[in-house]
Amino acid sequence: MAMTSKERALSIIKGLPVDKVPAFSGFGNVIVAGLEKYDLRFAHVHLDAQEMADAASATHELAGTASVNVPFDMGVTAEALGATLNTYPHSQDILYPTLRDKYVHEAADIKMPSDWSSAGRVPVVAEAISKLKERYGNDVAVGSWVLGPFTLSGQSMDLNETLKTTLKEPAKAAELLAKFTEALIEESKVYIEAGADYMVLREMGATPDVLSPRSFKKLIKSYSEEILATWDLPKVYHICGGTDMIIEDMGALGADAVSVDQKNTIALSREKLGSEAVILGNVHPWEVFSQGTPEKIREAVAAAIPYVDAVWPGCDMWPDTPVENLKVWVEATEAMTPRRKA
Amino acid sequence: MSDMDQLLADMKQGVIDFDEDKVKAAAQAVVDEGYDAYTGILDGLAAGMEVVGELFDSQEYFVPEVLMCADALYAGLDILRPHVDMTGRETVRGEVVIGVVEGDVHDIGKNLVKMMFEVAGFTVHDLGSDVPVDEFVQKQIDTNSDIVALSAMMTTTMLGMKKAIATLREKNPDVKILIGGAPVTGEIADMFGADGYAENPTNAVSEAIKMVGALRRM
Repeated sequence: MAMTSKERALSIIKGLPVDKVPAFSGFGNVIVAGLEKYDLRFAHVHLDAQEMADAASATHELAGTASVNVPFDMGVTAEALGATLNTYPHSQDILYPTLRDKYVHEAADIKMPSDWSSAGRVPVVAEAISKLKERYGNDVAVGSWVLGPFTLSGQSMDLNETLKTTLKEPAKAAELLAKFTEALIEESKVYIEAGADYMVLREMGATPDVLSPRSFKKLIKSYSEEILATWDLPKVYHICGGTDMIIEDMGALGADAVSVDQKNTIALSREKLGSEAVILGNVHPWEVFSQGTPEKIREAVAAAIPYVDAVWPGCDMWPDTPVENLKVWVEATEAMTPRRKA
Repeated sequence: MSDMDQLLADMKQGVIDFDEDKVKAAAQAVVDEGYDAYTGILDGLAAGMEVVGELFDSQEYFVPEVLMCADALYAGLDILRPHVDMTGRETVRGEVVIGVVEGDVHDIGKNLVKMMFEVAGFTVHDLGSDVPVDEFVQKQIDTNSDIVALSAMMTTTMLGMKKAIATLREKNPDVKILIGGAPVTGEIADMFGADGYAENPTNAVSEAIKMVGALRRM
């Protein structure tokens, strides 16, 4: 009997055999065509559970992608901790929400909610997960994610301050990261309880494009490890940018799979992590999926296939991505021979 | 009396080691001893930043280190700048409007490019981050600036630059437009009609620093 696309997605993450490789990802996949399908405004889909669920579903419905993923913006945790969200309600363009009032300067400034299930938009995301779960049951995997604590500190504090603290006052940085870690553990519990089938920890700010591998080893990775250890479901660890220098560390944090973007040298990562590791990536969401021709997408998928367990975009799908391009991804991915064939 | 060469070396090394105190002491000595402040900026502070750029390219330094070096540079620049005498100098001068486009709050690349302009003696109108297109246009008109520098860190905000460039060009066809940030490539700069670009966050840092180096040699 053929596996469901949910079984395939979760098996891929867990490194188990599949009959076919599904086209899915661990990030937001909301596209303009999906917003149009449900008559939604991008600025508002972050605020309403039904709209969020519809926007996430639409991509699957239109293109046949194999997961539905929420939330879409990176402000949920920082907002729950007291920052103010700007959704750009008046903009005619697709702008992702950002945060104002970055009031955190030290660990004591972090206002930890007493109940995470009712903090900020955490209940909106949780309800969207429940609705997706209701809609898709055992057929399509429902993915959710949280930022890593270092990336969250960049959302909650002035980024310059965050970065300099890692060098100037590592003890203070560690104290902040411990508090953010506590917050993320509590928040992710809510999403897991709401029914998320898999989780992604996105510690994108800790990329060697920004932070030294020394700092990653000394300061960042133990907190990522701590969060991953609390997740008892298929789990992925993701860092953006040129991750070659830390890929081995990324692979040893307790996640079932690592996800990398287009700046990672994927052949080298496969060599370093070995054939048993589950690697997801690493196609450019803008240059390939959004702007690419079908040929370019097929080429990029084909270039990744020898090294990855499933072809993931390196980040969120750019909302302008044409449905046709996503269909090419689905088709090309499903045509690949699974690394572990059921 | 301190030797100027020694003061220049101290400022240079102070920037590299992000030792603000060392930079300040040397910069103050330049002023107190009546040496040329502009030489201090270019051959001391900017020379140090050029080495920082090399350390960044060779992945010995990362963004936090560069930010600390920039702080040290500014500590010296604040002391030296009021004493710069530009009379009789042939150098690049002008006004620049700089900012990060709306939807984007990442201002590190922008700040480093701003530093480069300040070192070079430009008057910088910094609009900050998350800046609507109209504000760039209005500020350029108000100040009649020669250059508008736009930054976007994320692919999702990059398209805001396209609109900004079109609007700026419409109002003032002669203005020079520089764009930079993570998702920006040469192809995109051409597509959007910009005059120059810095390729990615990493490059924005090293390109900005290289521009400082280029100015020293002018």
